[in-house]
Amino acid sequence: MFLFSCAAPYKNLQRESAATTSALRFKPEFGRVLYRCVVDGRIVFRKFHLSGLLFFKDMHDGSTRVVFQNEMGFTFFDFEWDQKDRFKVNQIIPQLNKQALIETLEKDMSLLLMKNLNTASETVWKQDNEVFHRFNLEKGIAYYITRQDQLVRIENAGKSKVTTITLSEREQHSELPSTIVFDHHKANFTIRLNKIDDAED
Amino acid sequence: MRMRSFYFFIFLLLAANAGAQPKGFQLVKNVQSFETALSKSNAAVKTISSDFVQTKNLALLSEKIKSKGKFFFKKEDRVRIEYTSPYSYLLVMNGGQIMVKDEQKTSKINTRNSKTMQAVNRIMIDCMRGTVLDNPDFKATVYENGSLYLLSLAPATDAMKKMFRSIDVYLSKKNFDVDKLTMTEQGGDYTDMDFSNAQHNIALNDALFKAK
Repeated sequence: MFLFSCAAPYKNLQRESAATTSALRFKPEFGRVLYRCVVDGRIVFRKFHLSGLLFFKDMHDGSTRVVFQNEMGFTFFDFEWDQKDRFKVNQIIPQLNKQALIETLEKDMSLLLMKNLNTASETVWKQDNEVFHRFNLEKGIAYYITRQDQLVRIENAGKSKVTTITLSEREQHSELPSTIVFDHHKANFTIRLNKIDDAED
Repeated sequence: MRMRSFYFFIFLLLAANAGAQPKGFQLVKNVQSFETALSKSNAAVKTISSDFVQTKNLALLSEKIKSKGKFFFKKEDRVRIEYTSPYSYLLVMNGGQIMVKDEQKTSKINTRNSKTMQAVNRIMIDCMRGTVLDNPDFKATVYENGSLYLLSLAPATDAMKKMFRSIDVYLSKKNFDVDKLTMTEQGGDYTDMDFSNAQHNIALNDALFKAK
């Protein structure tokens, strides 16, 4: 039963026929946001733990930057999406410069920031008290799952669930939530983000 | 034409040299006497306790990320860097041991992946002990102005070159305290650590530096 539910997590979704507002109302808009970031995972039998700061900034030219640094200020990576959502790595340390890892992180952030979404492919489904906004991706499917007009989860799935992004409640639809958890079911690692305020006293 | 190119080349060389000298600072001519004075001053210092403000300058993003905390040093080679705001993070270096503690976990650092911390640790300890010019990872040039010495450290090894463009250590002329540390990354982003309220030779419990 467990295996079956893992293999077909969206089997019981019912197509919603009534007109529903697009999930794009949850597309984040922000000036700058700083998160405390903790990564936990396992490679084969070895656990790893990493912490730092993740910084999001919307630039004046319409591009978006996501920068990860350690507590002492050393930059681990600097990612950019231009106005047309084209992705670019501005900087990355050699230890993280692995294609599979960059693709995973790019996908995580793209899903969260709703970059490169095929908006025309959106269909709406329901299960229990949750509404599933489904988008076709280049590879797989993205579900933006809402409950009582709150975006509560983002799920990326192929034949099975690949990533779940759990979001805390927010006051505004377009606000980035105060806590975000990326759970990678296949790659076996979790990224936890907690918003912090570094404004001057 | 060839002569003009030669003059242009000389001009570039001079311009590059002029640019290399930090604004407002002059080269210290007698480095040996500076090093002797630094060692002598630091010989009397057994412990240091200080506040710090760290500012990460993201050059291309025109952004600054600020944090602050407490810095402790105890001879010979014990350092505790305690970030208190806006996040909690503790780094203890004791001899060859490095321990870090974030909000969730305490761990010993994998030294292979902690070259930044090792470099900063070594520089801090070198500054406190007065042996900063002996660090083989960097080539040091010493400058001065009215109130400060500036030790400009250029990476000398490939490992350091991959991480830093330069590390600048500003020392007070009055007591050779580290006033500021600026670590500039290859991409142009840099991190300032400004130290204040330094106290010398106050009792610091060994437990502060427990790294195991």
